[in-house]
Parts: sequence; structure tokens; C-alpha cells
Amino acid sequence: MGALSIRNITKTFGETQILKGINIDIDAGQFLILVGPSGCGKSTLMNIIAGLEGPSSGEVHIGDRLVNHVAPKDRDIAMVFQSYALYPTMNVRQNIAFGLETRKVPKAEQDETIARVAKMLQIDHLLKRKPGELSGGQRQRVAMGRALARNPKLFLFDEPLSNLDAKLRVEMRAEIKQLHQRLKTTVVYVTHDQIEAMTLGDRIAVMKDGVIQQFGSPQEIYDSPANQFVAGFIGSPSMNFIPVHVAEREGEIGVVLQGDGDARFWPLPDKLQLRERLGQALTLGLRPEQFDLVSAADGLSCKVCITEPTGPDTMLFSQINGKDIIARVHPRHAPQAGESCHLQPDLRKAVLFDPATEARVA
Amino acid sequence: MSHTTQSAHYGFAERWLPRLVLAPSFLLSLVFIYGFIAWNGYLSFTRSRILPNYESAGLSQYEALFASERWWTAVQNLGIFGVLFIGGAMAVGIFLAVMLDQKIRAEGVLRTIYLYPLALSFIVTGTAWKWMLNPGLGLEKLLHDWGFASFTFDWLVNPDYSIYTVVIAAMWQSSGFVMALFLAGLRGIDDSIIKAAQIDGASLPRIYWRIVLPALRPVFFSTLMILAHIAIKSFDLVMALTGGGPGFSSDLPATFMYQMAFTRGQMGLGAASAMMMLATVAALVVPYLYSELRSKRRD
Amino acid sequence: MIEQNRFWRIVVYGSLLIAAVYYLLPLYVMFTTSLKGMEEIRNGNLLSLPLDISLAAWQKAWSSACTGVDCSGLQPYFWNSVLMVVPAVAISTALGAINGYVLSKWQFRGSEIVFGMILFGVFIPFQVLLLPMAQTLGLFGMASSIPGLVFVHVVCGLASTTLFFRNYYVGIPDELIKAARLDGAGFWRIFLRIILPMSTPILTVTVIWQFTQIWNDFLFGVVFSGLDSRPITVGLNNLANTTTSVKEYNVDMAAALIAALPTIIVYVLAGKYFVRGLTAGAVKG
Repeated sequence: MGALSIRNITKTFGETQILKGINIDIDAGQFLILVGPSGCGKSTLMNIIAGLEGPSSGEVHIGDRLVNHVAPKDRDIAMVFQSYALYPTMNVRQNIAFGLETRKVPKAEQDETIARVAKMLQIDHLLKRKPGELSGGQRQRVAMGRALARNPKLFLFDEPLSNLDAKLRVEMRAEIKQLHQRLKTTVVYVTHDQIEAMTLGDRIAVMKDGVIQQFGSPQEIYDSPANQFVAGFIGSPSMNFIPVHVAEREGEIGVVLQGDGDARFWPLPDKLQLRERLGQALTLGLRPEQFDLVSAADGLSCKVCITEPTGPDTMLFSQINGKDIIARVHPRHAPQAGESCHLQPDLRKAVLFDPATEARVA
Repeated sequence: MSHTTQSAHYGFAERWLPRLVLAPSFLLSLVFIYGFIAWNGYLSFTRSRILPNYESAGLSQYEALFASERWWTAVQNLGIFGVLFIGGAMAVGIFLAVMLDQKIRAEGVLRTIYLYPLALSFIVTGTAWKWMLNPGLGLEKLLHDWGFASFTFDWLVNPDYSIYTVVIAAMWQSSGFVMALFLAGLRGIDDSIIKAAQIDGASLPRIYWRIVLPALRPVFFSTLMILAHIAIKSFDLVMALTGGGPGFSSDLPATFMYQMAFTRGQMGLGAASAMMMLATVAALVVPYLYSELRSKRRD
Repeated sequence: MIEQNRFWRIVVYGSLLIAAVYYLLPLYVMFTTSLKGMEEIRNGNLLSLPLDISLAAWQKAWSSACTGVDCSGLQPYFWNSVLMVVPAVAISTALGAINGYVLSKWQFRGSEIVFGMILFGVFIPFQVLLLPMAQTLGLFGMASSIPGLVFVHVVCGLASTTLFFRNYYVGIPDELIKAARLDGAGFWRIFLRIILPMSTPILTVTVIWQFTQIWNDFLFGVVFSGLDSRPITVGLNNLANTTTSVKEYNVDMAAALIAALPTIIVYVLAGKYFVRGLTAGAVKG
């Protein structure tokens, strides 16, 4: 049995069903990400794991214990909140000590824990300050310190970095990862930021409309998205979705693409199952990095509308089959806006979706 | 997510404690507010005079009420008082708020001065104005000393005008309140809207008239509610200033109710007049609260 | 906020100054009158400064002026008011705080209805409660007593105090409560250790509001008090309306100032909180 097991969880508020049967299993020490757009139910799921809300049906197991009827404080969990939720009238030390006091931990042990946590998070010098006197990053550390002091079986993070500025967010992200590698505690981490999801998670559950769209490792989800929503949600810039028809030329299955020049047939390797969809309209999913700049003979002529240099790469905005696309290319060879260039799509990793259901078909 | 914790996951104690804790206040207001309203309503249909008498009298108390000249004087006075007091306090209060909003030096001091009457009891206000408006040695004498020998000011003892003295004192006491509410509203208006209007070339009075004050409509309505409410409840000021007199020329429904119920031994009539007051307030407040709650729910 | 010419500035400051005079004049008149003798009042006018300053009127108002039959000044009324105000403010504020805490942070099915019920209580004209309340207080032997008055003020003050605290606590993030629950704190511990220490501003507002309301109340005072439990407002009204042969305006004004002094002092010391109470009470719901 794993560290956390969620079985058939549903949650209904009045008329609306917020969670529609969630199943997740993770092993001890894993870092689980719940990611999705706002309103997808991820925070509700988190609250249910914490015991702050009860599910309408289903079971939550932490370790090998069914915790549906266990109070939050007895679930052996700790949580870091988006707003940090530091007690404003207590100083940092009291904030960390509050939970220990409530649990009647002996004073000496409290002091020891606070010292250990403060040292780990480098907040020793802040212990006498009130939350109002701390910067955003410091508050974040204190909030984590308060959670760490509990030494819990399960860590819950509810969008902990979304109130920080971009630079600090990257730093804290790395620190959380380091901390996890050091402590090896199981973590559930809610975020709407797909970069956080990719960089932190061992396992990612992509959620939308109260349903888990896909559950897997970051690489699985990136390379092999289960549907068009997941494909578009994970990755930045987003995956390009190009309307195509399945065609056959000289025994090969492929698609016809057209930029600003002649239309051209591109074979789809290893997609023989598409033979039965010959002539059907599908959506071709290609990530921006799956384009290469090539010489005229090998590529599809495309007119560049805008270029966006990001430094290491340059993004080319163009059109294929009448749809806006973005290609990520090396800046050295990047054309100027208004010029035409030749792009070669790498269709080995291409994914195809049914335009109506958005389900993956190949 | 909303903080609706209806189905939240609480332990047994935590599920019942909140209800238990709220129970005393719930019961207090259920019995001593709503229960008493019903009881008072019941009394208004009985023959109660000095002591409660639960023999039914049908609608006779209401018939007596509507036949009473004194009641209609009180109602008419409430009309005069309500319109002049609300209109006057609004005008003065809004004017002062707009003036104070002009980046004034010593704004804090001025605000303190405009608002201190609110900290006073209406009895204190009434006593003070009674002295100032008294025909012998008050305002009249002051103006005589200043050379206006023919000036007479006898409103306090003139049955035709006594209600207007109540208006004067009430306005003095409450216009600062209107000022405070509108000033808070003005401070809440986005400065950039005004800047945009200025760039469009609008003059200052025009900006206030066309843009700022219309934006304060909600403040206007809640202030109106509060002032109307004060007017209907007005009791202390009349008691201190005129005692309802001369005769009963400055009676208001609240003083009428008190006189009937507690000094004239007409309990049933007093109860009936109290019900009329409640009905008036409800007619004002219920639609207001309803629209408030609705707009809140829409957010 | 806006660039203006000199003429407008003069108009603005002029109107504000005139208004200030208008509001201050009654206070000035009260104060100067209270320091004059009756002789001087008859010879001078409202605005003349006292030539011969005397505290006799204050002394008389405090300890020997007649309020009806009995001639011991406002002193006993003042202490009655103190004895009434202190417990009434304390109890109504405490109940309001707990109610507000439940209604904002521990909502349950039906709690909104309770809130609506309490909220409507803010608007009820108390005349409608007077007769049944008088009967009930009599029934429980609390008629014409200070405990009876305290009880009435608590019942009728609950609506405002609950509203104040509820609206303040709604602004405290729910995550704080969640964090405390995960830290193992329960209903009371969260209230006492987390919420209450954050409540200083609203406590101040509520205490000041309730103090002013109850100290200044006349309706309940005149209806529910007996000979030895009358509050100061009733005392002042009796004093000012006692028909003696000579009307002593200086004593009336000294008495009015004595009755006004506690609330004026509170207002001067904590005006900011007083105004907040006013506007908070106005923006209901």
C-alpha cells in the first residue's frame, strides 16, 4: 500500500459536482503535483486530503490508514498555504511553536525542533519578528518551517509560490526540490503553473472540470499527452494544433501541410492505425521545438509574421493550414519578420487528436 | 473556493459547538425581538389599558388610533420632520463632504468638529437647543442686542412652529454623519476617473455633478435609509426639546406611543401605534435589505 | 485633488469655517452659560463671555439640583449610568464577538438565516418591544432595576455588535483557520489564540459604539428604570424640565455637559474608532 491513496472521491456543492470520481495512488517519498486551471477542483481535493472538507463519497488513505473520519490534526500531515496563513499576532517562533504547544510537546523538545527547523531554512535571525515585518520570501520560509516542525508523514503545499515574484519563485522552487530530496517525505503540491508541475513533480495529475485528465510522470505527460487539453496545458509555449486531413501517398500515411507556398505531403511514421481514418479531419499536435529551419528543398515554406527572441531561442510566429503556429528555432539562423523561411516538422513525435472529442487518436 | 464549510469535515464537538455558542443569541433575539413583536401585535388587538387585558378588541384600537387627532398630528409632524431633516442633513452633509475632499489643510480637525455632536445624547442636544432657542434670553435676545429690535423667535412655544425647532436641532446633530459617510465614499472613488474627466475638459462642479456624485448612489441610498430610520425612531430629542408640546403640537409617533403606553394608560393604543411604526420601517427596510443582499449574492 | 484658482479656495475654506462655527457654537454657548450666574445670563446674551467665572452651577448640577421631587443633583444618575454601561457593554461586546466568529468562520446550515434575523434587529423600532419587555421584566423581578436595563441593552445591542464582528472577521483569511486546525487547535483555542489577538481594532470600535449608544440612551432609561436606577439622560431631562419658579439655565447647561462629558472624552481620545463604528454600522450586511 502506498503513502497516499485516493479512491473514487466525489464532491458536490449544492447542484455542482466539483470532483467527479478521483483516483490517485502514490508511493512513500513521491512528489505528487495536482495541476490544472482554476476551478478544476484541485484545491478542493487538497482540502479533502487535509481533512478540512469532507468528500461526498470515496475514501482517502494516508499510509495504510483510512482517514475519512480522522480530524485534520490527527492525520499526521502539514500544510503550506498560498497566503502562508501565518498568525499575524505571533512572532516567527510562536508561529512555529503553536502547533507543538497544542500537541503538548515538552518545552525542551519544542526548542530543539524550532532550532533545527530555523537552521534548515535559515530563518534563525527572524525568530523574534512578526509576519508583518517579513518579506514575501521570508514568510514563505516561515510557513514551510511551521510545516516542517511537525515532521509529518505527508506534506501538502497549496500553491505556495504564487504570491512571490518571478525571480524568488524560481529560487524557492529549487529549494523545495532540494528539501524534498533531503527529507524524502511524501508531498502533495497544488499549482496552476505547469512549469512548477514539470520541474517539481515525480507524478503529475492534470485536472480539469473535476476529472483527472492524465496521471503520470512529467515526461510521459509531456511526450504523450492523453488528450488535447493536457497537450495544450503542459509546455510553454503551448503545443501547436494544426487542422489536417489524413492522406495516403505511395503507400504511406501522412498529412498535407501548407504554409505560404505549395502544399506538401508529410508522412507520419509509425501511425499505420490511421489508415482507417483516411480522409478524416484530425488535429495535429506539434510542439514548437518540433520544427527545424532547413533549406528550401526539405522544408515547408512559411511566412514569418513576428519573431520573439528569448535569448537562447527565437520564437517564429507563422501560419500552417491557416492556423497560427509557433516554432522554436536557434537565434543564429532566425529569419526576420516578413521574410519567408522553410520549416521542417519532426513528425516522429507528432500526436493527433479527434477535433470533436479532443481525445488522442494517435 | 468559498468558505462555505457546511459539509466541512469537523469532529463531533466542532460540529456542534458553533451552534451551541450561537444558540443564546439566537434565542434572545427570537424571544425578545421577534416574540415580543408578536406579543406587541397581540396587545394591539386587545382592550389593554393600564394593565394588559387579553380580551379581544378586534381592530378597535386601530380604529381609535386612526380617529385620533393627536396621532394624525404626530404622523403629519413625522412627515414634515422627515422631509426637512433628511433633506437638510443630506444637503449640508454632502456639501461639507465635497468641500472637505478638496485637499484641505486641517481636514482632521474640521472633521472632528463636524462629527462631535454625534457623540452627544439627543437629550444633551435637546437641552442645549432649548436654551438657545428659548424666546426670553436665547437667540431672540442676542439679535435684540445686535440691534434687530423687532426680531421675534418663539418657535419653541408656538404650536405652529414647534416641530421646526426639532428639525433644527436634529440637523445640527446628524449632518456630520452624512458628511462622514459621503467622505468615505468620495475617498473610495478611483482618482483616475476624475483625471480622465479633467483631460476631457470638464469643469470641477461638472465633474462632481455628473461623475462623482452619481457614482455615490449606493452611499446615497444607505444614508437615506439610516436618516429615515433615525427620523421614525426620533423620541429623545422631542422629549428634551419640547416634550411634544406646546400641547401635543410637536408629537412624533414615538412620543405618541410612549405617552399612550406609559403615562396615559392606553396600552392597546400604544401597541397599535408601535405596530404602525414597525410597518413603516419594514416598508422601507425590507426592499432595501433585499436589494442589498441580492447585489451581494451577484458578486 | 484638482488644481483650483484662488477664488474657489476662499469659497471652500470660507464655507468650511462657517460650518465649523455652526457646529461649535452650541458647545461654546453651553460652556460659557454654565460658568455664568443667573444675573449675568439675564443681562448678557448667548454669546457674551462670562465676566465672573463661577463653578457654582456645576456644583449645583452635580450634587444639589432638583430633578423632580428629589434634590441631590445628577450624581446618583451618573453612577447609575456607570453601573449600567459597564456590564452592558462588556456582555454585548463579548456575545457579539463570539457570534461574529461563528457566523463568519464556522458557518453551518441555517447560520445565514440566524444572521439575517439578527441583522434585521438593527432596524427594528424599539417602541414595538417596550410593552412586552416591561411585562417580562416585571415578571422576573427585574423591573425598574439596573440589571433589567443591562439586560435590555444587551438584547438590543446584539444586532450591532454581531454585525460589527461578523463583518470584520469575514475579512480574516479562512486559510488562517485551516492552518490552526491542522496545528491541532479547536474552536475555542482558535478564537482565543488567533482571532481575539487580531481583534483589537474592532473591539475598540464596538466598545466605543456600545458605550456611546448605551450612555446616551433615553428611551429604555425612561421606560424601564425606577426611582433609584435612572440613568443620566433621564436625570438630565428631569432636571431641565423640572418646573421651578426660576429657570436656571446655567445649571441646565452644566448638567448637560456633565452628561455629555464621558462620551465627548471618548470621542476626543478615540474619534477614529468612533467614526469607523458609524460607517461600519451604515454599510450593513
